[in-house]
Amino acid sequence: MTLLLLLLGVPLAAGLLLTLVPPERPGLVRHLAAAAALVQLAIGLVAWRQVPIAIGLTWLPKLGLGLDLALDGLSMPMVLLTALLTAMAVLASPVDQSRPRLYYPLLLATNLGVTGAFLAHNALLFVLAFELVLIPTTLLVAIWGENRRAGAAVRFLIYGAVSGLSLLGGVLAFGWFGQGAGGADAAVSFSFEALASAPLPPSGQAWVLALLLLGFGLKLPLVPLHGWQPFTYAEAPAPVVMMLGGAVSKLGAYGLLRFGVGMLPDAWVIFSPWIAAAGAVSAVYGALNAIAATDMRRLMAYSSLGHMGLLVLALAAATPISLQGAVAQVIAHGLIVALLFACVGLIQRKTGTTVIAELSGLLNPIRGLPFTMGLLLLALMAAAGIPGLAGFPAELLVFEGSWTVFPRATLVCLVASGFTAVYAVRLFNRVGFGRLDNARADWQTTRLAERLPAVVLTVLVVLTGIWPAGLTGWSEASTAALALRSQLPV
Amino acid sequence: MTFTNNLGSSSVGSSVLGPSSHAYADVIHRLEAGGSMLPDTPENLQQIIGIYKAYAVPMDFYWRDLLYIAERVFLNPLPAFKYFISQEYLDLPNRYAGDQASLRIWRGGEKAHPELLEFMAKGETRAMPKLLHHLWHDRVNMEFAEACMQAMFWHQGMGGRFNDYLANEAYRANADRAIKAYFKGNLVMLGLYKLFPEMFIEKVRQLSYTANLGLFWEVMAPVFFEMSDLYDEGQLTSVPAAMDFLVNGIFAVAGRPIYHHVFIAGECIEIIPKSEGFTWLYEAALPYVEAVFYRTSPFRGTKSYNAQADQVPADQADFHYGILYADVFPVGSAGIPPTLLMQDMLHFLPPYLQELYKQHRRGEQDQLIQLGITFQRSMYNVTSAVIQALRCALLYPLDDTNPEHLKANRSFFETQMDRFLRPEARLSDIQTQDYR
Repeated sequence: MTLLLLLLGVPLAAGLLLTLVPPERPGLVRHLAAAAALVQLAIGLVAWRQVPIAIGLTWLPKLGLGLDLALDGLSMPMVLLTALLTAMAVLASPVDQSRPRLYYPLLLATNLGVTGAFLAHNALLFVLAFELVLIPTTLLVAIWGENRRAGAAVRFLIYGAVSGLSLLGGVLAFGWFGQGAGGADAAVSFSFEALASAPLPPSGQAWVLALLLLGFGLKLPLVPLHGWQPFTYAEAPAPVVMMLGGAVSKLGAYGLLRFGVGMLPDAWVIFSPWIAAAGAVSAVYGALNAIAATDMRRLMAYSSLGHMGLLVLALAAATPISLQGAVAQVIAHGLIVALLFACVGLIQRKTGTTVIAELSGLLNPIRGLPFTMGLLLLALMAAAGIPGLAGFPAELLVFEGSWTVFPRATLVCLVASGFTAVYAVRLFNRVGFGRLDNARADWQTTRLAERLPAVVLTVLVVLTGIWPAGLTGWSEASTAALALRSQLPV
Repeated sequence: MTFTNNLGSSSVGSSVLGPSSHAYADVIHRLEAGGSMLPDTPENLQQIIGIYKAYAVPMDFYWRDLLYIAERVFLNPLPAFKYFISQEYLDLPNRYAGDQASLRIWRGGEKAHPELLEFMAKGETRAMPKLLHHLWHDRVNMEFAEACMQAMFWHQGMGGRFNDYLANEAYRANADRAIKAYFKGNLVMLGLYKLFPEMFIEKVRQLSYTANLGLFWEVMAPVFFEMSDLYDEGQLTSVPAAMDFLVNGIFAVAGRPIYHHVFIAGECIEIIPKSEGFTWLYEAALPYVEAVFYRTSPFRGTKSYNAQADQVPADQADFHYGILYADVFPVGSAGIPPTLLMQDMLHFLPPYLQELYKQHRRGEQDQLIQLGITFQRSMYNVTSAVIQALRCALLYPLDDTNPEHLKANRSFFETQMDRFLRPEARLSDIQTQDYR
């Protein structure tokens, strides 16, 4: 119980504490923020030994809102991933970060919201935490983003608000329609157990699922709900995108798994062909746009969109293996996208641009950024599903688990996944090779401290690639219990 | 294109003929005023003199080893130790410097430079067998010198009579005598020579170019040492003065003989005798500048790629991969990045250049590149000296008052500058100090 509260308390307390640090000590703010995230990670690792653990505290019973928190096989990896990526985002931020007493607390507030959502075992609490994330992330984009940050922040806010409202509507409908049979005076509980014990009829499930799909589809995002993503990923600071792509977007995947597959099984089975189709379309659309992208950040954004498509395909199939693949994909993609943006952030900080046409020869061993480019290559290889790296076991499980249920969509996703190699090679060829322009190549090399986040993420990408149990071991039992279809032999 | 021009306004050519309309008009005006293609700035002077010194030390080894290979290693079928120069050649007195010089022009000593001897003895790493120093490249990299020789050998036909002579019957007869003497008693090699005579003759031709380049650099090494000394003494104060020193040096030794002798079993066989009258300027210096500064060939690692991309001209005369065009970043996208030479020069950089490099770009981390660009600047100055020397030899004085003569001079300069109109040329880059 204490551990669960600490997981939330540490970022909350640290965030508040950081605002009190004297402004003349910006380095201390950064160190404290990193320390808070690492402490949270350590607490998470300690809690891992005790899973499952849960607490239920009364908060607003009339609203059905309780402080129901729990850690299980599904939420455990998500919480650890969030803590890790927060620490990496802090360390990947510039040492001379402007307005650190606002920036780092907002990163920790993002962490608080995401962690709260993963720990929540009450649907309303989940929605609250889900909504909380929107505020700091919007501010982070609006204040520290690139030139067109205002537009990006507004777009992000609008999409996020629609996502939150849709989700709130779905959750309220779920609770009220499901437990409304108990009479008008009966208190409605939004705890997961209560929702699960009062299942909706299939027609009701369909309406609720439609709302949830809209809410989570916007967060992931999925085509055609992705309008905010390329713009935001291109304009937000790279460390913020590490959080957005690696942790925040995973709220969508987690929500679909927890609510859609877990609590609305009948509707899920009915909707699943369409969901799988949306996943396949996202995968192809993301990959093709990544091939056509002229900016590294947009390329990464579309790549991320494509890989979310694979994840959704796995969720749609809902077999034990595909769900295991989905969780593995969440972790792998979280690490890979964070690594990609850590590298892109470094490149942008040194060269001042992410426009592909303006960069070349970065692999140059003396004047280029060979180390960063090496890690970027590894990240791209991982995204392409090269064996030995994190993306491979995740995608293998996704395809294997989905093939028997949705062979056509799986085939389309396989092809789309192959496109990853196309844009990866294209990007690397243009940015890494070629002539390094002497007039432009007047930047300093990356320091060890700057490289650290990318190095840590690289180690994890490699480690989980050669030891896939690191991706799948967390959730094997949980996903097996959630599976809606039995795995047929391939 | 506008460049800094410190001398152009005072040139006779400009005042009589009016300004040139050439893209490199400012550079041409500077040449007409007796200047260099390289702008006259204190930093340019410091850079080029510093690099001449750093270049001269390995060059002092290059010429000795090239002569050792051409005269002693000769046709050794397994020349694995050709870079392990004999003590005799390491001690070989320079014929243009020192008290024992047959033609003393420069004031330095005839022995190998002390910095070279110290480096040869210990290297820069740690005490270990000489072979390990060699394999670790903790040595003077003769590969660069041989690449220069191969460029001269391959391009051929760049003026002078040397190349034509290699197809001459007299040359074949001398080479034949040397081959037979070298492999005397070696039935296998003599049998091979009988079967593939052209292969052996061609190899001797290559060795003749090896001797040619060795003799060329024997002259240049003390020139650069003396320039460095004069700069340290405050006697060289401008880029044009440095160029003039080179021009005077060129004329001083222009007529020195170029030859190829081989020493076999105590006998000297003259494959190219001195009596043939081949001279340093026409048979060595000009072909060297043309082959190495201008032409060479695509970077070894990218030749195939360049060829497939139609980036290799059909006509050898159109090659433009030399140091005047080279991209010194060691990716090999254009030209010879003289990477090994850059490493050689790095060992002998004077302290003031090391300090200069620390102040710019990545400091010590990328001083290899910075010194490569300095080398490029310095070679533009050497090329300027060659252009001015040719103008002196073939055309008219710069202060000639005859407009037709000045017109001919300008035409000559404009023709020379046409070679730098290609986008790869670094002439425009070196006009600014920011190019590092």
